[in-house]
Amino acid sequence: MDFTRRELLKTAAALLVEQWAGAAAIASPSLPVTDRKVVLVTCGGMRREDTFAQSGFANIPHLYRDLLPQSVFYPFVHNNGVTSHYNTISSILTGNWQRLDDWGNTSPTTPTIFEFLRKALHLSQDQAWLISSNKALTSRIGASSVSSFGPAFGANVIFPKQLLISAVVHAASQGRAVHSADRSTVQPEIEAILNSDNYDGLGWSIGGESSSLDRITLGVIQQAIEDLIRTNAPVTGDEFTYLVALEVMQRFAPSLLAITFSDMEVAHFGSYSLHLGGISTVDRLVYELWNVLKTMPAYRGKTTLIVLPEFGRDFDGSNTNGFFNHRQNGDSTRITWMMCLGDAIQRAQILEDSIQQTDVCPTIARLFDVKNLDLAGKPLPGLWL
Amino acid sequence: MTVDMLNKRARGSSEAGEIESFGSLIKRLPVTMRPSLNGQFTAWDTLFPFEQQRLKDFMRGVESFNPSALDALLAPMRRLEGKMGVQSWNFDQTADTMENASLLARSAAFSEWRAQVQYIYDAVETAAHASAQRPGAQSRLVVAILPRSLPFEPAKVWSKWGDGGAELSIDGDATHITELLLQGPSSVRDLLVQQGSIETSDLWLIDGGSGFSTTSVSQGVASTLTCAALGHLRERVLAQVNTVPKSIEVTDQTLASIRGKNWDPWWPPELKDEARLRRFVIDLYLSGNGALIFSNAFVEWAASEAIRRARPRVLFARFGLRAKPKPFTGIAIFENQHHISALPDVDDLQGSAIDAAVLARYILLAAQRYPECAQTAFLCIAESAESAYFVLPDALKTSWTNPTKATPQQIAHWLIQHLSTPPRNHG
Repeated sequence: MDFTRRELLKTAAALLVEQWAGAAAIASPSLPVTDRKVVLVTCGGMRREDTFAQSGFANIPHLYRDLLPQSVFYPFVHNNGVTSHYNTISSILTGNWQRLDDWGNTSPTTPTIFEFLRKALHLSQDQAWLISSNKALTSRIGASSVSSFGPAFGANVIFPKQLLISAVVHAASQGRAVHSADRSTVQPEIEAILNSDNYDGLGWSIGGESSSLDRITLGVIQQAIEDLIRTNAPVTGDEFTYLVALEVMQRFAPSLLAITFSDMEVAHFGSYSLHLGGISTVDRLVYELWNVLKTMPAYRGKTTLIVLPEFGRDFDGSNTNGFFNHRQNGDSTRITWMMCLGDAIQRAQILEDSIQQTDVCPTIARLFDVKNLDLAGKPLPGLWL
Repeated sequence: MTVDMLNKRARGSSEAGEIESFGSLIKRLPVTMRPSLNGQFTAWDTLFPFEQQRLKDFMRGVESFNPSALDALLAPMRRLEGKMGVQSWNFDQTADTMENASLLARSAAFSEWRAQVQYIYDAVETAAHASAQRPGAQSRLVVAILPRSLPFEPAKVWSKWGDGGAELSIDGDATHITELLLQGPSSVRDLLVQQGSIETSDLWLIDGGSGFSTTSVSQGVASTLTCAALGHLRERVLAQVNTVPKSIEVTDQTLASIRGKNWDPWWPPELKDEARLRRFVIDLYLSGNGALIFSNAFVEWAASEAIRRARPRVLFARFGLRAKPKPFTGIAIFENQHHISALPDVDDLQGSAIDAAVLARYILLAAQRYPECAQTAFLCIAESAESAYFVLPDALKTSWTNPTKATPQQIAHWLIQHLSTPPRNHG
């Protein structure tokens, strides 16, 4: 079969979702819920100077030229918490600043927006998803440790990139290079990972332990990913994450879908050019996502898209080595931006008042008419809340 | 035994006694300040002279406070540690660890804690400076080289460097500047020796490729780090780093194990007897910042750390090329792509040039964080553009004639002249 790279990625993504649907068996009959949809995109660390600034517009042509004019744009969004990935995304999802183990060994200490919505609206688990490229996260981010909420109301959490990384790295660790002529190189690794109940990155088992695959599906997934690898074309983790997200949308049309991108985090290794490449990839994927949301029947006309970086990065000349890291307690790291598109916005505008990242959770809750939550954040201005 | 050797031994014995006494002094400091100081004293023999002197000055500064004044200085930090709950933490007091850093960083009082640390250090260092005799200032030089293989347009190469320096068109082969400074009758090394420098950490040569093409700067007279020569070691360390699981505790154990491991079979011959430099390299590799992944990140981070830790008189940093990410290594970039993919490497010329230009500027910014900057001339050479960007110390600016063009010989002569002149005599 002569797949193009993208067709192969799509096939792999579809098969991953197919597997979830077939194996998890966790979806109970959905109760009627509001027709509204929210897609939340968080995307690693990007400085304002590399994005929404004169020096950065070239890196984000779609966000700047195509999406900004139709959005409510917040140019001053503060991250006042711990500027690590797990803590920041947990804070955005819970509306409270979380101070957790950076490596995701503990769950958020207050309920996530997934739990608030599922509990209040009686949503089934297939209505709340988190699909992430970021290897710093774990599936614990999908639900809090609060006893009255917790995993029973949590999200499905998937780390598609981790599946590929694990397969490739495992093959390499066994001394086998991924080679176009060697179809058997990766297959055993894929098989081992897909059969493993303990594969942390996939997060299949939030609603149960049904993580093993049926033989037919497993064979098809193996074939698809193997074909993908054989193309020897550059592949980014974010692109694969995006395609898995599309597949989830098509199959389940979840009420709340959170996607995290992280290609730009290559900055930690000191390549500014690859960091900018990661920003450009996010720019393109967000634009494609918005166009899909405008045309997909389940989403058209009733979806709010929220896009924000997790934080900036440290300033040039900082004692933390500038763009490499995001540890400084300064504006370059703590102040970022946010864009809202679609259903919830009253009119396109730029709102320069400072807001907090913890405002996102109560905003989404309000969009679903879930009120009176005990949160540090408050609903955003500029929306029809 | 010569008198000189006896004196040295006596000094060594007296120093050892003083260092031992510092151990009990550290115990009087707040808990969260102890790991860094204990860790440095544990690694005393692998510290650079500048670090040893700074550490001694700091401890003497602490010692100079009478007990009640010291208690008063430290009381706010002790209260803060109580508020942070430090007593219930699994906080290692013997050395900095990832777990320590993680505990501090996620405390709600982290910013306040940082401010308190700064407050205490400022007070102690002020006390230390009041009693210490400072050596005279020395002229310094930092040279960053963007090699000819990296494509740059003369009109754009310095566009992000701000207005703190000036551009200079090079009239001739730009590669000659480095050769003239490192070789020839009036090389930098010869000059430093003439000025009495016998310390290898005074001159650093850091190369992202296969080494500086010079024979005059031999091993033992400079701190020399070459990416190509360190290749085997890097691969071994990277392989071990990649075994780290998602657990801070296990990570700390793994990093300690890497530090303590005997890497002798993989050190290049020129570093076999350089314990201090070997420790420096392992520290670089384990402190992240891409030093294990990209050669240009290694050059930048090595240069920045050398400037911070050794305050060299002269430092050369030459960047190199990286390969384009191969299929799938874009998603597993922390892995060794030579192992992951059998496809041949393809140089990323444009990407390497973008990276190197940013990182060369980062070396300048690193140098500008320290007081020695006031005596430091900084030069970045873009060989393919036959252009240079230089930042002069204030004292030199007054006598500078603002030339827009110069030959390699003229540039080398100016820099040697700068190094030959005590800072107070500039201008």
